[in-house]
Parts: sequence; structure tokens; C-alpha cells
Amino acid sequence: MPGLLEGVKVIDLTHYFAGPYCAKLLATLGAEVIKVERPGGGDPLRHFPPFANPRQPGESGAWFLYLNTAKKSLTLDLKTDQGRAIILELARSADILVENFAPGTMAKLGLDYPALRRENPALVMTSISNYGQTGPYRDWKASEINLYAAGGLMNITGEPEQPPLKEGAPLAQLGAGQNAFVATMTALLHAEDSGEGQHIDLAIAEYATNVLENALMQYSYSGREFTRVGNRGYGRAAWGIYPCQDGFVGIIAGPDQNWPEVANIMEREELADARFASRQGRLLNADEVDALMLPWLLEHDKVDIFKAGQEHGLGFSFVAEMRDILEMEQLTARDYFVSLEHPVAGTLQYPGPPISPESGDIASWVYRRAPLLAEHCLEILGGLGYSAAEVERLHAEGVI
Amino acid sequence: MSKAQPLKNYRILDLSRIWAGPYCTKLLADMGAEVIKLESLRVYDSHRGPVSPAPGIAAYPDSDPGPEPWNRNGWFNCLHMSKYGITLELTEAKGRQVFEELVSISDAVIENFRQGSLARLGYDYETLRRIRPDLIYASMPAFGNSGPWQNYVAYGIGQEQLSGMAHMTGYANDGPMKSGINHGDPITGSHAAGVLLAALRYRRRTGKGMFVDVSQQESAVALIGGEVLAYQMTGQEPERRGNHSPWFAPHNAYPCAGADRWVTIAVTNNDQWRQLAEVIGRPELADNPQYADNAARLENQRELDRIIGEWAADRDLWDITRQLQERGIPAGPVLRGPDLLENEHYTERGTFNYVDHPQAGPKWYQGFAWRMSATPGQVHWPSPTLGQHNRQIYRELLGLTDGDIDRLEEGGVIGTKPTGSRII
Repeated sequence: MPGLLEGVKVIDLTHYFAGPYCAKLLATLGAEVIKVERPGGGDPLRHFPPFANPRQPGESGAWFLYLNTAKKSLTLDLKTDQGRAIILELARSADILVENFAPGTMAKLGLDYPALRRENPALVMTSISNYGQTGPYRDWKASEINLYAAGGLMNITGEPEQPPLKEGAPLAQLGAGQNAFVATMTALLHAEDSGEGQHIDLAIAEYATNVLENALMQYSYSGREFTRVGNRGYGRAAWGIYPCQDGFVGIIAGPDQNWPEVANIMEREELADARFASRQGRLLNADEVDALMLPWLLEHDKVDIFKAGQEHGLGFSFVAEMRDILEMEQLTARDYFVSLEHPVAGTLQYPGPPISPESGDIASWVYRRAPLLAEHCLEILGGLGYSAAEVERLHAEGVI
Repeated sequence: MSKAQPLKNYRILDLSRIWAGPYCTKLLADMGAEVIKLESLRVYDSHRGPVSPAPGIAAYPDSDPGPEPWNRNGWFNCLHMSKYGITLELTEAKGRQVFEELVSISDAVIENFRQGSLARLGYDYETLRRIRPDLIYASMPAFGNSGPWQNYVAYGIGQEQLSGMAHMTGYANDGPMKSGINHGDPITGSHAAGVLLAALRYRRRTGKGMFVDVSQQESAVALIGGEVLAYQMTGQEPERRGNHSPWFAPHNAYPCAGADRWVTIAVTNNDQWRQLAEVIGRPELADNPQYADNAARLENQRELDRIIGEWAADRDLWDITRQLQERGIPAGPVLRGPDLLENEHYTERGTFNYVDHPQAGPKWYQGFAWRMSATPGQVHWPSPTLGQHNRQIYRELLGLTDGDIDRLEEGGVIGTKPTGSRII
């Protein structure tokens, strides 16, 4: 069955995390995504460990396989006239082009928005970059940690007396990638309404500022700075991560009317003390509340604690490890994982759709394994009218 | 209103609260969608904060909640610009009638109640599609609309844990750490916004609506997907590494001169390493076999952290940043609240929006999540006060008379003053 975006054509000039996640969302909703990679090594993310098959690392890296499902791979040297010409040819019949080169690179390649627009005025061009296409930091070099820091998120993560902390996963880049997907869909709707394409400029650092929410608001409204508060929710107690018998749990003790349940669950009458009845009271007596909860927590398993809270109407959680996620009864009951076989990486369980559109005549989500490097050169160039001999010549010349 | 609004033809009836749903509709409202935010006077969006807040809670102008704190809280006011704000009691017969009329003229309904809550009010997808056959109905409970945990609740902070994000975040040899925000919320909101637009496009081509099932947990797991595959390859759980990277070194935050000032440095190749060794006055380290390639640097990064840390310790954050950037080394400041609003780059790009709110005054807010060359985002009005647009929406969209609206007010079906405040 076709997906929601059946018939939408995407040229994907992205690499690493942010751009590939944007294009992955388009691909797995059914768009045809042509991932253009440099001849030789391809997307540098191909070489990020771990690898399912260390003898062929470029085809079996965990993050590469995950972020590039359902795409087609075309290798192309964009610095050659032929390479550039092929992109322009593809652009004529494409709906979307996504790229995350350093700002200015597309212009140097003769592939900036004005050049693409000449080929196809309705084309949506989505550019994702560290700090954006304009501004004094436009050309700054950055990695995930620098962007998480520049967006204000790092300053408020971690313990007050320890360094500001980044996330373990590249959430600034991936979050920017998913917002780029929303931006691209917005522009696609507009292009189909009006025939007018456009250029989207999305900065990863600005994604981080965009999700600062309360921290930015507290400063803007009251002049008071958010600081690092470790695992305690800001301005809250009994609202954070606690150790338990077999790992860590999230005790989320609210709203106030549900707090008395905590005393029942943990079998500690002292927790029902009137001093702890309000959010403010718990905050004033945070250490005492923690000390009363800890003994029970340390005698119980994370999933049992999670469920005890939930059965009493409290939004408890637990710190899931990868093995917990793969075995989680809720995820398996919903058939969340998708088993994909890959000729080099073998069969793995892939996390499934972030969201399921449900309609009788479309597939909720389109899954195919990530492409091998250059796997679809013949098919894609053939679609442009290149003969097998011409493709062979391009290969010999190092264009593909 | 000179520029076109790309989503101006779409009307979204928004029953969502707190952050995940409101972030979804913020992204859409910023691009011109007509978002009608519907609240109950008994259970309004708890991001408005309590009716009688205790000191220190929420974000009020100058920390003063004022006589109507629910209209003055920055937590709420940063998420609802350019949305219409109405109130309606869905438990009242008259309210139900009005609600069904609203559904009949809406393209999409979005809600993030506890699973099944709207169904108990008689408004599941099957019911609403009888009112509006091509409706798109996005339902975003914590764990989706099926499975053994479907009735469970979880907030963004819980989703960071249940998705595996917290497990891989934290200082080395220490426990998992929450982020300073709740990543689960905007992640779900953004996924939902994109899929909603894809569903609207599909409907435009086929005339068919659909149900969109959102599990906030699944949405969050999607952002650590590579680690789920990595675990299957190695059998090893991801390590908590503080600010180190599994792939590159040196890679850390280093304290600089001043109180709580930090610079982040991430060296990702040998050229950058050679440049860094020169900047810190230790060019001989560039070819030292202990640090000469990335594998060696990963192996010996604690010593590198010590060397770089000593160099940074009494230097100015901005001097260091400029010096490193001139050499092409990925580096930058850990920015704090005041830094952000005064930052030269964000100022030039217009990253933040300055918006005057009738009860909060002029304040800085998070801006548009991206720039569009032909149809840039616009702020049409500040976040609505409770029930601010009742009269406008009920009169202009539903054709009610002022007399009808008065009667709804007198009957407690709509209004502008809370009758309850159930706060998380």
C-alpha cells in the first residue's frame, strides 16, 4: 500500500544526523527520497560505530542504518559539471530538496536556491545548518555539544556544582531535523496551493532555543535565571529520578490531590503529613520527603514501582535501558518494532513509526532497509534517460 | 499581513494542554493555521498555572501573579501566540451542541487527554467523523490508543526516562540525569505537526480524513533509534559519559574565567586537533602518538581534558571562542538566559520575538522555529487570555447572536473566569 506522501519526490543532500532524520520522516511516510552521497565514503555517518558487521563498517553502522531507512542511494561528485547537471535535472521533477551543508556550500557548487528555482519554481529547498544561513555565527564550526550549549539547554542540565551537561543522544540535531520536516511539509502545501516554492532556513542552535520553554520564560518575565537542579524538577520535590532496587525510577508526585496515594503506595504514613500536602510544602521539605520515600524505592523493582504509581493514577515512570525498550510489553503489544533484513547488517529490530496515521487505503508507514552506497545509481539515472553505457562512463570518470 | 500565510486555509480545533500538543499547534499557528484553542473553565490548561499560586511558582512578570495569574504566566504565554482562545464546557448540553458545530467546520481536532477521556464524553473518532466525515483526529495520549498501558499517564519528564534518553545521559560513573526541559513534549509535538500536515495534504487530494494515533513514548524512542540498533549489535548498553562523545575527543565543557562560565570544545578530526594544540600553546602535542589520531585521543582524553582545562581556566569565554573559531575548531559558549536575549547572532537573526501581552506587558519569547523566504512566520496577536475570543469565534464562525452568547455565559457554558484549577 502507498504511504501518505506517495508521489512526492525528494532530493536528499544531507549527512550526519539532522538532515537525514528530516528526510527519513519524509521517506517513511511514503515519499521517494534519493539520498545523494559523495563517491567513495558516502555519508560520513556510515563510518560511525558500532557496526553490525565490522568487516563492512560503511554499510552496517547503527545510526546510519536507523536514519536512512526507505531511502535510495545515488553517489555523485557535486563538484563536477556532470554531477551538478544531474542534480539540476533531478530538481526539475522533484518537489523537495533537503541539504545540510555548511552555509555557502550550495552556492559554491552552483546549486543555491536561485539556481534551483530557475529549474523548478515550485521546488521547496530546505537548508538545515548549525547557526543558520545568516548572522555573525553563520560560519562557525559546531558539533552537537556546541549547539546544545549555544541554545541554552546545556546550562540548565546537570548538577548545580558540576559542569553543565549535554544529552547522551544528539537531540539538538534530531529535533532540528524533525522541525525541518514540519517546515518542509508547510512549504510543500503552500507550493501545491500557489505554485510558489521557497527556501527554508532552519538553524539547529535555534531549535534548542525554541524548546527552552520555561527557562527562557522565567528569565524574560521575572529576570530570575534558571539554574541546574540535577534530577529534581525545577521548583518541585518528589519530581525526578530516584534509585530503586534494579535501576532508576521517575517519581512524579502530582497533582496535589493525588499526593496522598504516594503514602499508600509506599506504605509510609509519614508521607501523608499535612506539611507535604502541597507542591510548595514538599519543596520546602524536599530532603525529608526523599528520605521517607527512599527505603521503599530501594526495596522495589522499577517496573513494579512504575505500575504501582500508574494503578493509583500517578504518572510514575522508570529509566528504561535499551533492553527494557526492546522487551517493553506496551511496545510489543502495539507491534512497534519492525524487523528489517539487510544484506550486510543482517536482521535487526528497528524502532517503528513515531506516529501512526490510520486510514484504510494507505500504509501508516513505509519501511525498507537503508540503502547500500550507490545501490540505486542505475535506477535513478536510468529514470533521467541515461543509458547503461552512459552510467558506466560516469562511473569511470568518477562522477558517480 | 503583506505576505501569504502558507497554512491559512486550515482550521484546527485544539483541545490539547501543557506542552506537547500546544507545541504542535504553535508550529502550525506561526505559519498561519487558524488554531482554536478550547479550554474548560473548570479544568483550564494547567500551563496557565494555579488560580492562587504559591510564591516562586511559574513565571509571572516581575514575579507578581497579579489579580488574574492564569493570564500572566509566561509558561502559557510563550506557546499560544496567534491562536484563538475560547472556553466551553463539554459536560453541558448546550456546550456539546456548540462543540459539535465547531467540529463540523474544523479540518482537524487534536487532543492530548489521558487516553479515553474524550471517548467518555462521547467524542471518540467514530462519533466525530459522523459530524465531519473528512475530519483528521489526532489523539496523543502518553502511550497511544492501544496496548496494556494505554490508560497510563506520563509527562514529558517521564518520557525522557521511558524512551531511554535519561539512561544514556549523565556524568560518568553516576546515575541517569534528566534534562533541564522535558524533551518528550516538543518531540511529540513536532512529529504530530508534520504528520498532521501530511494527512491534510492527503485529504486535499482524496477527500478522506483519518485517525492519527500518537504515542508520546514511541515518538520519543524514535529519537534514540540508533542506540536501539547499537544495543542489538554489541549487547552493550550505552554508557553515561558526561560531556564526552563515543566518537571523538577531546570533547567537553571547560570552565573559563568568571562564575559558572563554560566553553564547549569538540575536536572531530586531526586538522582541528593540530590547530587546537597550537592555540593552547602546546604544538608539540599534535604529533605526540598519545594524541595524534582520534583513537589515541579517545583513549587519553582525561589527560587532554586536564591540559585544555588548565588553558581555559583563567581565560575569557568569548576570547576563547573567537580564537578557536578563527582556527576552524568547533567551540562555543554555554549560553545562559541573559546571554541568549542579548546575543549578537540571535539578535541579528531575530531569533526571539518581542510581543506585547495585555496582562503581561511587552516580553521576549521563543520565536519561529525556522525562516521561510516566501511565507515567513508572523505573530498576529499575543497568547489569548482565558476565553478572550469567545465572542469573536461564536459570533463570526458559528453565527450565534450576542443574546445567544450572553445566555451561554449566564449558564456557565462559556466565560473568562476560572471555576476550578486542577494543576499538575
